[in-house]
Amino acid sequence: MPTRYAFSIDLDRCIGCQACVISCQAGNELKDDETYIHVGEQIRGSGKTLWGSFDHHRCFHCADAPCVAACPTGTLSKWNGLTIVEKEKCSACGYCTDACPFKVPHIVDNHVSKCVACLDQVKEGQAPWCARTCPSQAIHFGERETILAEARAKVAALKARHPNAQIYGETQLGGLGLLMILLDKPEVYGLPLDPKAPETMKVWQSVVQPASSGLSVLAAGAMGLMFVFARRQHGKERAEHERAAKQKAALQTAQPKATETHHD
Amino acid sequence: MTSVTLAPTAPETAAGPETHLVRRYVPAQQVIHWIGVISFFLLLLTGVALLFPPLSFLAKGGTSGVIHRIGAIAFILLPALYLLRMPRKALELVRESFTYGREELAWFKHMPGYFLGSTRNLPPQGRLNAGQKLHHAATFLMFNTVTLSGLIMWFGKGQLGPEGLSAVVIVHDISMLGLSVMMIGHVYFTFLYGALSGMVTGKVSEEYARMEHSKWYESLQAETPAAAEKTEARPAE
Repeated sequence: MPTRYAFSIDLDRCIGCQACVISCQAGNELKDDETYIHVGEQIRGSGKTLWGSFDHHRCFHCADAPCVAACPTGTLSKWNGLTIVEKEKCSACGYCTDACPFKVPHIVDNHVSKCVACLDQVKEGQAPWCARTCPSQAIHFGERETILAEARAKVAALKARHPNAQIYGETQLGGLGLLMILLDKPEVYGLPLDPKAPETMKVWQSVVQPASSGLSVLAAGAMGLMFVFARRQHGKERAEHERAAKQKAALQTAQPKATETHHD
Repeated sequence: MTSVTLAPTAPETAAGPETHLVRRYVPAQQVIHWIGVISFFLLLLTGVALLFPPLSFLAKGGTSGVIHRIGAIAFILLPALYLLRMPRKALELVRESFTYGREELAWFKHMPGYFLGSTRNLPPQGRLNAGQKLHHAATFLMFNTVTLSGLIMWFGKGQLGPEGLSAVVIVHDISMLGLSVMMIGHVYFTFLYGALSGMVTGKVSEEYARMEHSKWYESLQAETPAAAEKTEARPAE
């Protein structure tokens, strides 16, 4: 069985310093206005009831990733649990921007822009830039089982302070490749409880798309074959038609006497 | 530009020494048809690049997407161009394409034979035969669905969500499947019955007119009774 990698982000440890954002931009050589990670904050109440938490908006690396299903060029694909990007294949069609239930991918400079999981680093046995840089060790990367066990232990410890603490991404969309340790319910962070690839998407991918190319090729083939037969048939008919027309003309110019005229 | 020219009555082209030609389309109609041909194939090719995985390399870098949009603008403006340039003919085409009488129904009974190259038992048809009418009507309907779904994809990008995107793409794909199958049929009949000259020169052979559109041919003859042998041009459609 291939390795299944995953990230985890511990929102209890995150200090909102943006180091992950910067190291990601630098490590992946992104332009200043392009970023794969957005770190925001959630604030609620005031005074003694004040509650706050940072939040991260970035690719969740879904196991059953709708963006991968929708991508027509193979730019997006799965590799050991991660959703990887081959930018040079991208056509900028934007299907992924609509297919993603988390609204993560964007089109920047005519190609898709989303977390590439620092594939080169990972292949060399290194953790992605964000995980390596995080000063508070809120971002972890490794085999999903290990990461999940770690996250479970963390949530159990958090329960005393944050009764609603939980892991987001354990089961959604086949299990996410980024487990988020939340301090409160997912809706507080604006995360969908049950993100899904809709049925219509399966109909599109597995029925309409193959049927469209298949049936048009079939129609072209069938008509091509039919053409050979039909052309011969019509040729005969045209010859007949011509003969009849000639006969008629000959009759008209020669003798107007009654002879049988052929009608089609 | 739309001036009606006389078709030569003398022998012409390789079709044979006795081939007479009749004008079926005015130059403006030919130009519009050519814009349609070019934009349709641009759209088809750049679209198939996103539909058929082995061709997806054609879509690299996003150039095909830009071409798709340029083609789309030409394609969408086509009916407007027709309507502005030839309002009466355009409306007549739409009206005719949605009017079916007894003769059309009788024609449909012989459609299988027509598919296989036989015009023998076909009831006499006017300028448009019943199959062409049906073709135009279906094209008209699918032009609308493919255009509407395409515009939604174009201007709604990023706001459609997974459900919206897949619904719109399904409509777009099925419309284009329909239009492609009809285009294949259109090309098929054009070559089967030797009507290509209508697209290239605007004229068709007298023989074609007589065999396929006898009522129309007769009406052309009736308009020029003085010249029984001659066939005067009259714009069709």
